[in-house]
Amino acid sequence: MLFHSQIFILAFLPAALAGFFLVGRFLGPVWAMRWLIAASLFFYGWWDPRFLPLLTGSILANHAIAQTIRRLDPVRARWTLIGGIALNLAVLAWFKYADFLLATVAPDTSPLGIALPLAISFFTFQQIVALVDAWRAPDREISLLQTMAYVTFFPHLIAGPLVRPNDILPQLRAPGFEKPNAENLSTGLAIFLLGLGKKLVLADMFGGFADTGFDAAARGETLTFFEAWYATLAYALQIYFDFSGYSDMATGLARTMNIRFPANFDSPYQARDIAAFWRRWHITLGLLLRDYVYIPLGGSRGGAGRATRNLLVTMLLCGLWHGAAWQFVLWGGIHGLFLAAHAMFRRSGRRLPGGIAHALTLTAVVLAWVPFRAPGLPAAWSMFQAMAGVNGIALPTMIVGFLPPLAWIATPVPVLPFLGDARTLSFPEVSACLAFGWLVALALPNTLAMSERARAWTLTASFAFAAQALFFAPRVAPFLYFRF
Amino acid sequence: MARRIVLPCLASLLLYWTLFGFVLDRPLSLGLFRDQIESSLARGASIQGRKLVLIAGSNGPYSHRCETIEPILDIPCVNAGIAVGIGLDYLFARWRPLLRPGDAVYLPLEEAQYSRPASTLGPDGAIMFRHDRATLATLAPARWAGAAFASGPRGVAMSGIETSLVWSGFLDPRAAMGGERNAWGDRAGHLPSLPGANPGWLALVVPAHESPDRVASGAGTATVAAFLRWAGEHGVAVVGGLPAGFADSPIPAETRAAIAHVFESHGASFIDPGDRARYPRSAFFDSPDHLAEPAQIAHSRLIAAELALILAPVRAASR
Repeated sequence: MLFHSQIFILAFLPAALAGFFLVGRFLGPVWAMRWLIAASLFFYGWWDPRFLPLLTGSILANHAIAQTIRRLDPVRARWTLIGGIALNLAVLAWFKYADFLLATVAPDTSPLGIALPLAISFFTFQQIVALVDAWRAPDREISLLQTMAYVTFFPHLIAGPLVRPNDILPQLRAPGFEKPNAENLSTGLAIFLLGLGKKLVLADMFGGFADTGFDAAARGETLTFFEAWYATLAYALQIYFDFSGYSDMATGLARTMNIRFPANFDSPYQARDIAAFWRRWHITLGLLLRDYVYIPLGGSRGGAGRATRNLLVTMLLCGLWHGAAWQFVLWGGIHGLFLAAHAMFRRSGRRLPGGIAHALTLTAVVLAWVPFRAPGLPAAWSMFQAMAGVNGIALPTMIVGFLPPLAWIATPVPVLPFLGDARTLSFPEVSACLAFGWLVALALPNTLAMSERARAWTLTASFAFAAQALFFAPRVAPFLYFRF
Repeated sequence: MARRIVLPCLASLLLYWTLFGFVLDRPLSLGLFRDQIESSLARGASIQGRKLVLIAGSNGPYSHRCETIEPILDIPCVNAGIAVGIGLDYLFARWRPLLRPGDAVYLPLEEAQYSRPASTLGPDGAIMFRHDRATLATLAPARWAGAAFASGPRGVAMSGIETSLVWSGFLDPRAAMGGERNAWGDRAGHLPSLPGANPGWLALVVPAHESPDRVASGAGTATVAAFLRWAGEHGVAVVGGLPAGFADSPIPAETRAAIAHVFESHGASFIDPGDRARYPRSAFFDSPDHLAEPAQIAHSRLIAAELALILAPVRAASR
């Protein structure tokens, strides 16, 4: 079930919320938590009930391991922790990476064709975190019910934010969490509706523009300069609005049930260096990788060389977490190199002017999206060539006729076949939409940073378009992060 | 809750409907459709005696030529085909007041027009909501909702662009690229030598055909059936037909039979010239539904001959 589907908004959400508060009122907080778990399992199983046993089995096994860790002496607890992490990673590797590894080591072997359980990367990582936390703070008891509620809580179950036990459990234990709170309900719904608008109005629109260019590159078509750049700029906006819209929806949903999630996005395209970008993009994943991979590897201790190695390893794993394909590893590796280069530059004591630093960071991030989005490395290379102008610069005859000096740099063509709907006016249409999207991403505050008044005005501007897309759009595109 | 959610949402809907109902317009894209619809209606209204009206998607004006059909049948002809995205319920609603007993309507509809779901958003929704709310009010409630929510953010962008272009005296290149409509409503001058011709794409494109089930169950079919009942009650002769298409991709026989059944089960005639109405890809202009001008004229002669056989008894009876 998708957050932006009619069945979720019109049926599941009202039923889940009403049930939660009614059960809480008449039967108390424990039953309210049980209701939440049941609703969350229903939500997960709606997509594909085959994987419900995997999810519940994983929770039960991890809870048992965590309880064991808490009871054992430090040395044996450490080995149990390592075993538990290995078990989780083995399950993840089997379902998500087996075919990738097989294709890498034995390319001629036919794939195993293992179906990828929904959200396996998310619930596996969260449970590894819970195991580590059990090892670090063994005196902090967590009941099975609380573990179930922590992992399955439907607002974050499918695609994050990657919350830690400490983010949620104190709130689940807080008195009155099962009672409706008008402030939380209205704020949560407003954030949810703004996220819905981001996803349905902006992300899906830019997704259409991006698909046209990247799909053409995948077919081996020759894109020209503007077609390639526009597709890439559109994808950068699509993934931002898609994922931050999803995070807003998740945050808003949790808020309606009196749960506050940590922020997951903080206007990342406004970052002025690549390290700041990673402090503002998918924040919960970044913090998790920092605390559970980078620092345990040694972090920045042990000199620049070790720090660079640790950064690269962390970012390669980050790429691999996003998908079982070399293009994601490449994307992670590119970001690792960016971060290493930034660290070196910072150590040199030099500083770039703010505007230049921002432009450089944004260009680097946008270029790195190319291998991330392209269906394969040849398509990514083809996009890079087109963006470099190797295939020439073409513009619609209409535009060149309007501004004749453009004929010095661009070849006039009737239409650009891989831009928008390939119509006469597609070039100005996509240009205007991209300009608007980048204005929102670069100049406006994000949903969580907005004042209440700004949220009301943004809702006024976006709600009708979101309703239009929800009930009358020709297609509903799934969230990009559902595949991770 | 009211201040944070309800009021902003209501204000948003009000603003949206005000913008798309009264302020924003798309004078180049939707304006072209409107001009075509209104000019064909004006021609239909100006004909005093009997007339033949051809209604279809864009294969109507591109692949049929009333200028050719009219002298063969000796009946004034109006080519009222617009585009597949313009709902048949809207076109029928506009044409019904102009059709008189003895008039004939030829419907060489595209396959997709039969299977089009009732909820499909087409440009007709935006056109009606902005310019023709009187006709919209006569259609099914589902169409009101569709029309009231016909435009997305791209509609805002295109409205700004198209309005600015019109204000700045933009020279519309479409006639130079793909020919113009003549007084009958036909596309004329769409020769393969024009820049709008697309032989490369035509050589590769694989036309999609509808299944008999989709034809039988489509909302478009229900609309056609309702129109056939109305026509039968009002003395208007309706003739069904097929669009011109690629010789190497004929409409499956079962689908042709399903389309013919729509008409024949309501007592209407149906023309199926078979392979004679299928043409090599080189005969087309820019899409599998659009014959280039020479083939358009030849196809129109073929259809006129078939129509003459059907309409001759009707003509004799109406004299």
